[in-house]
Amino acid sequence: MSPEEEFRQEALQHLDALHNLAVYLTRNGSEAQDLVQETYVRAMRFSHRFERGTHLRAWLFQILRNTFLTFYRLREREPALSEDGVPAGGAPMFHDAPDQDGASTEVHTDLERALARLPEEFKTPLLLAEVEGFPLEDVARIMDCPVGTVKSRIFRAKERMREYLKDYGQERKA
Amino acid sequence: MCPEPQDLPGDDPEVGRWLRERLPRHPAPPQLRAAVRRVLMPEEGKPRWRWAWLAPSVAALATAMLMVMWMATGLPVIGSVDPIQQISRAVVTEHARMLSWAQREPDVVPAALPRVMEESGVILNWVFTGDEQIRLVNAQPTYVEGHRGMSLGYMDRDGHAVTYVIVPSGGVPLPEQGRVQIDRWRPLIRRENGFSLIVWKDKGLLCVLVSALVSEDDVARLKEYFVKVRSQTELSPVF
Repeated sequence: MSPEEEFRQEALQHLDALHNLAVYLTRNGSEAQDLVQETYVRAMRFSHRFERGTHLRAWLFQILRNTFLTFYRLREREPALSEDGVPAGGAPMFHDAPDQDGASTEVHTDLERALARLPEEFKTPLLLAEVEGFPLEDVARIMDCPVGTVKSRIFRAKERMREYLKDYGQERKA
Repeated sequence: MCPEPQDLPGDDPEVGRWLRERLPRHPAPPQLRAAVRRVLMPEEGKPRWRWAWLAPSVAALATAMLMVMWMATGLPVIGSVDPIQQISRAVVTEHARMLSWAQREPDVVPAALPRVMEESGVILNWVFTGDEQIRLVNAQPTYVEGHRGMSLGYMDRDGHAVTYVIVPSGGVPLPEQGRVQIDRWRPLIRRENGFSLIVWKDKGLLCVLVSALVSEDDVARLKEYFVKVRSQTELSPVF
């Protein structure tokens, strides 16, 4: 298999993971698909810039995030960051109901709602590290920021997630 | 069931575990997988492309023949030919072709763009794919006045088709008369056979936005679309 074919085959293996992140970033199914397609178009166009032997998965996620910031974030109209970097207001709810029982669907809904309220700068490193399993060094490369910043953002994102989930729990209790 | 407050994850690892175990994953749907395969392995679809391009090629040939016939009858009457008018008429024909022949496939447009760029010779560094008002629904290589170019088809939320044609300018000057200030640009606005056109130059390429939006309000809308495509599409310079 030629290096180009290897590159293409390996790139295809990350499609599901890229789409998953795209869904949580765009909160819109068709935009997520557009974003993923555009990511692969760019990856192919700039494949000569990819250094063989380095982490293709992280490179693809970096392209996806950069493309999202360029094309889609303006539409997102996220509230401006407050001092702690987290907007006060809630974002619109987004949920593709999974085919599971009602109880776990409710938990999923709350998790998704809480996640949707996080700004991209917090949501992306949290998902990359905790859901996709990237090491912090790779997350830092994808986010184009120091590892310390990534750690701090993940910590704050989790802290905020806990608060949101607690709020939702209390809402239901009331 | 929703977690009780006391059941909520109390430390960082707990939140991470919740996300890993309970956050739904969204695998790529089959149509996206197919589109990405076309991007990564274009050779797989080559036989299909050959047939898919037969109809548009025939249409382009027919258009070219009609243009030749039209020019042959029109030249003696017109006398000196206005190159912008010629291009405008050709672009209107192209717009009509896009309307009649082109399939609207917004889902496959991003994946099709590399091929369209290769076949048209027009390179887009960035492209306006749409917003809440108007959306990119088609991309095709084209021939206008003997030049290879690209047509991008947009559809607005009211169903109006807008075609954005990009061809090498071939040194055609844009006359001062008819220019209007729109945002920070001064393109040319023309009316041709019941269609409105906005014509400008960008990095050695001639760009035309054409639509059947002709009333005063509609032209204002077309100007808005112009600002969107002009500011959010970046062409690669032609040398």
